[in-house]
Amino acid sequence: MIEPKKFWWMIKKELISLKRHPARLVSILAFPIIMILLFGYGMGGEMTDLPIVVVSQSDGNLTDLTLDTIKNTETYHVVEVIDDLDEGKSRVESGDVKAAIILPSDYDDDDSSQKGVTLYLDSSDQMASQIIESSTQGIFYRLSNMVASQTSVSTENASVTPSIAHSLDNFKDDISLHINKIYGNIKYIDFLVPAILGMTVMMSCMMGMGATIAGERETGELARLFMTPTSVSTVIGGKIAAKLLIELVRALILIFLAVLLFSVSIKGGFLQTFVVLVIGALCFVGFGIMLSARTSTQEDYAQISLPFSMPMMFVSGVFYPIETMPWILQKIAYIFPLTYLNDAMRGIMLKGQSLGDVWADLVVLLGFTILFFIIGVKRFNRDV
Amino acid sequence: MKNAIETKNLTKKYNNFTAVNSLNLDIPNHSIFGMLGPNGAGKTTTIKMLTCLIQPTFGQAIVGGYDVQKNPDEVRNLLGMVPQQVSLYKDLTVMENSQLCADYYGVPQDERDSRIEDLMELVDIKYAKDKRVGQLSGGQKQKASLVASLVHRPEILFLDEPTIGLDPTTKRTLWDLIRELNDSGHTIILCSHDMHEVDMLCDNVGIINTGNLVAYDTPQGLKDSLLESNKIEMKEALDKISEENEVSTSTKEDIENLSLIKMSFLLKNQNDEIIDAIKKSSDVESIEIDHNGRINLRIDIFDDMAVQNVINDINSAGGIIKSISTEEPSLEDVFIKATSEVNEDDRA
Repeated sequence: MIEPKKFWWMIKKELISLKRHPARLVSILAFPIIMILLFGYGMGGEMTDLPIVVVSQSDGNLTDLTLDTIKNTETYHVVEVIDDLDEGKSRVESGDVKAAIILPSDYDDDDSSQKGVTLYLDSSDQMASQIIESSTQGIFYRLSNMVASQTSVSTENASVTPSIAHSLDNFKDDISLHINKIYGNIKYIDFLVPAILGMTVMMSCMMGMGATIAGERETGELARLFMTPTSVSTVIGGKIAAKLLIELVRALILIFLAVLLFSVSIKGGFLQTFVVLVIGALCFVGFGIMLSARTSTQEDYAQISLPFSMPMMFVSGVFYPIETMPWILQKIAYIFPLTYLNDAMRGIMLKGQSLGDVWADLVVLLGFTILFFIIGVKRFNRDV
Repeated sequence: MKNAIETKNLTKKYNNFTAVNSLNLDIPNHSIFGMLGPNGAGKTTTIKMLTCLIQPTFGQAIVGGYDVQKNPDEVRNLLGMVPQQVSLYKDLTVMENSQLCADYYGVPQDERDSRIEDLMELVDIKYAKDKRVGQLSGGQKQKASLVASLVHRPEILFLDEPTIGLDPTTKRTLWDLIRELNDSGHTIILCSHDMHEVDMLCDNVGIINTGNLVAYDTPQGLKDSLLESNKIEMKEALDKISEENEVSTSTKEDIENLSLIKMSFLLKNQNDEIIDAIKKSSDVESIEIDHNGRINLRIDIFDDMAVQNVINDINSAGGIIKSISTEEPSLEDVFIKATSEVNEDDRA
């Protein structure tokens, strides 16, 4: 039986504490801002302005067109156009630039049957090299279509085995490919933000419950409450309500920032996104209660929760799709509630699904929530 | 109801470890009971069982007429607890903490604030009612804790080391307060390692060691019993001497220590004549002379006339006695004796 007055005291106490500790309030508000900036700008941004040199050994219209196209591509920052092949290669090897695009001396010849363009690439930077490679392929694919000539590009991996080149021939393609992106043009940041929201809620709920339960157990406040004629569920319920309220404000800030800073669209609507986050927050608050039910200090709680929160962060598909992970991690991912929260969040925010469409995720999340609460309250004793 | 607390074979076990072992304890209503024991003796476990924080493994505890296992909420309503570590919310004011506790105990809303104000006046903390607990001094925190613990008018109040770390003046204020609370009808259970505090405040004292109640009486009763026990031990030692031809030096010292009692005189006119008269007295075993007029003696514990004879000798030599004191066992002696006996038994 939950008693509203006692319940309200826990919320009131948290709000008074926050009001009297502006630094704590700032920290609570800053946390989602830092998270979204860190992950959004740090990991979710697209790579542009990668430094390259163009080694142009030819002269003519096609060369001019190619240079213009390369210079106007956002991916590259053309540091210099040079004509010395060795210099181009040495600048890649020294790390001065990420790649050298080498246009051969016969590049502009009309009678040349095949135009062997070489991409000399610093493959030690895996992310940058992949982007440059695909971008370069795209440019020469378009150019070859435009001039209807047979142009080929070969790539050399500078830092690994510069002598080995693999050919990316036959850009000319007779097949016309029409791409129909069913959820529109989704960038990595779009993929990332829903999961960052889920992960932030997970981290702050779990850390917060440690401070609330284990911390108060350590300092004795919990003992005083348990000496009153009050049920465990009222005390814990009050703590949950207080925590949930703060987390929801945080979630609102997160959503607001994601939209404001990264123009993330919420196709399924704000309200549905919010409902999913509430369910997620409840689930992780329950997880926190389960873990803190018998821990006597905040430090113990931190040690106990870490083996759960860290793997959950990396395995639950926050940064990469689960399907790209090794099979064992894929299996593990499905025992973590964050996986279902991420899936539901992406469904609603990216695909514009409704709560009904992501019902399976929500049922699993609610199932976890009920399980955590039952275990937490059962394990919880007044022995403080 | 004669007793505020009654326990019958109260036992708490953690796997193979017995924290409290068949504790039978009666604490009379409206009394101040001192619960003593070394660290890890089982005091905290006993208090946790009596305050319904943990369940006993066996036995029964009746608090205020209610069984702690059958009627825990009724028991909780009767109890107040002032823990050693002040467990109020540091970010809330004294008033807010008291209001929170009052609401958790279900104090009627129309009485709540006036009760709190009255208690604040009683413990003299009203001037700091709007201060955050985190900003208070140690003594103020204890007073605030008392207000929060008394707001529901508990019949029984547990005080766990209430004066530890407090300055002597604040200690005295709290001692006066404890007496006042007792006078107004509260039964008080005082857990403390301050023997002077317990000796001075408590009507009864129980000593718990290794989960057992090893001594229970009034403070004076415990001290007298130690005196008697010393006499008995000495007699046993004397019997042992008569049975054995050779006695070790340590045994001799033990007997000597047990058979003598310290006595101290402060004389207005200390002089050689008086000192010679004392030295000649057959009741005096040893003498130490201080130049400020104090003379410390050791006299025979078994001789009921020894004290009187020494006084007569001083009077005869023209000495003017300003004060006399005899050293009797303190509560600390009782504590050490009671707890060491059990430890020796354990080792055996």
